[in-house]
Amino acid sequence: TTLMKEKLVVFLAGLQYIAVQIINTSGCFKSFLLANCSIMYLFLLFLADGPSIQQVLVELTNQRTVPNVFVNGTHIGGCDATYQAYHDGSLQKLLGDSKDAETYDYDLIIIGGGSGGLACSKEAAGFGKKVLVLDYVVPTPLGTSWGLGGTCVNVGCIPKKLMHQAALLGQALQDSRKYGWQYEEQVKHNWETMVEAIQNYIGSLNWGYRVSLREKSVTYLNSYGEFVEPHKIKATNRKGQVTYHTAETFVLATGERPRYPGIPGDKEYCITSDDLFSLPYCPGKTLVVGASYVALECAGFLAGLGMDVTVMVRSILLRGFDQEMAERIGAYMETHGVKFIKKFVPVQVEQLEEGMPGRLKVTAKSTGGEPEIFEEEYNTVLLAIGRDACTRNIGLETIGVKINEKNGKVPVNDEEQTNVPYVYAIGDILEGKLELTPVAIQAGKLLSKYEFLFTPLEYGSCGLSEEKAIEGYGKQNLEVYHSLFWPLEWTVAGRDNNTCYGKIICNKHDNNRVIGFHVLGPNAGEVTQGFAAAIKCGLTKELLDETIGIHPTCAEVR
Amino acid sequence: MGWEEKQVRGYSEFVRTAQHYHGRPIFALFCGDKDAEGKSWCPDCVTAEPVVRKELHNMPDESVFIYCLVGDRAYWKDPNNEFRKNLKLTAVPTLLKYGTPQKLVEEECFKAELVRMLFTED
Repeated sequence: TTLMKEKLVVFLAGLQYIAVQIINTSGCFKSFLLANCSIMYLFLLFLADGPSIQQVLVELTNQRTVPNVFVNGTHIGGCDATYQAYHDGSLQKLLGDSKDAETYDYDLIIIGGGSGGLACSKEAAGFGKKVLVLDYVVPTPLGTSWGLGGTCVNVGCIPKKLMHQAALLGQALQDSRKYGWQYEEQVKHNWETMVEAIQNYIGSLNWGYRVSLREKSVTYLNSYGEFVEPHKIKATNRKGQVTYHTAETFVLATGERPRYPGIPGDKEYCITSDDLFSLPYCPGKTLVVGASYVALECAGFLAGLGMDVTVMVRSILLRGFDQEMAERIGAYMETHGVKFIKKFVPVQVEQLEEGMPGRLKVTAKSTGGEPEIFEEEYNTVLLAIGRDACTRNIGLETIGVKINEKNGKVPVNDEEQTNVPYVYAIGDILEGKLELTPVAIQAGKLLSKYEFLFTPLEYGSCGLSEEKAIEGYGKQNLEVYHSLFWPLEWTVAGRDNNTCYGKIICNKHDNNRVIGFHVLGPNAGEVTQGFAAAIKCGLTKELLDETIGIHPTCAEVR
Repeated sequence: MGWEEKQVRGYSEFVRTAQHYHGRPIFALFCGDKDAEGKSWCPDCVTAEPVVRKELHNMPDESVFIYCLVGDRAYWKDPNNEFRKNLKLTAVPTLLKYGTPQKLVEEECFKAELVRMLFTED
């Protein structure tokens, strides 16, 4: 029992074991040796009452084998258990009691300076924590890079919405003549002027974040971070200079990057959304590969700016979205200048001529039925087939953080904690929850999820798609109300009167509670924002009728 | 080579000077006019100037520091003055890196750390 007062007690067997065990366990224990933790090795073979101690050990711990490790009186187990405790941080925690806990450089290190990472850093700094943020953009295959702020600010939401706005203004110019505006000049669009203005704005945002972090005393490094040891990362800057930093807690906020299909010519000649928003020349005749919202939004504004745009789709549009809405969006785009090539995938991209833009030849194969080959020339090929989490090359395996090997995402619990207690994860890299959530909570979470699509015909939605609603509640329990509508602004402009569309999905057994809201039309994003709040408050069909003018035209279940 | 300072007054002189040094890093501090005793009508400019001057040695080699007096209080208050219209200035003092979106405005200019960051950021 006196032994238990020692910090770390390791029971070992005979001499021949000692060598092996010390080599095995020295990996774990070296950092504690550095921290002046004394380790008492008890060699059972040499102790006079070795066998009786061994007996006591079995009774205490149910463990017959050596090494048998105790820390501060707590039984850890054998070699495997000790390694496990080392990897998940619990060993260090036990060794570091509050009096002589290891001092770390920072309270918190955040890897990734995007929407998630920056929000987190500001919160933490607000609580007086010492915080380090690492942000580093690995250049695209074509060499594009950007500043602090992550995807949304630099190559996502912000520039996307601005280019969408540029396209809308083009449409507005066309409408304006019907409203009496007269001008002689042919109106043309200058890509370079638009990109310069957008990049200037983004630059001011990058700078704003730098100032904001500095004012909150958050340290920022433009360096690539990777784990080398528990609680320790290696940071490499643009010039290759390396520094090391330790922290009590870490947050992974590394986000995603566009995926490449792995066909000849993809990285050499194709661009992605990472390159599009700062492209120094007009893309010209463009092939957009993919059926995601990125693909459709980009195809939409490129066509709106006057370019010849084709979208190549492997199977369906907007997987995961309400399919009725997806079809309507696709149909609208098709009747408004976007070509679709359905059920084809590119297999090769060759360069016919270098230039800004150059000329590329795309070869594609059909995915269904008859094998067919398609060949066409384009100035630009924009790949938008999906995004992959940036979790593979940051040393997570070194510290034992588990990721989903298939998609690279990080599973976390309700507190966004990974399987390693001192490492958390936020944002696009998150997988679902570790444990299954009951349907009620699931529904609650889905209700608070809303999205907007800035396609030429904007789409906003909140809650469940019709497919998910049917799956979760059963067709017979739902009432779907829908309506085509003709925005007033479109009337005089002579635009379609059978395109804009709204639908709500209600749960019959809960007062016709609105569980899904979908709208297709101008300013759908703004409209949905308000509805999302109402739905969160438990909006029912009756309440809706009392406030707005979407009239039910079809009251039967679809 | 180090850095050099140019003192100018008014918008046209500022633009001429900035164009003259095109190709070199240009930093500019915009302040309200000074009276006969050398004191500006803008109290924040009075506070900011010494802070900025203390950090000038952090500017990269070949830099040009333009110290620009914008005009009197009435001129500055006019929402259509050239500095507001063309350079998009919103307040004095403003310290900026010419040709980039990087700038510090009002109290931000009081913080040596931020001024240093503006001068050394690339």
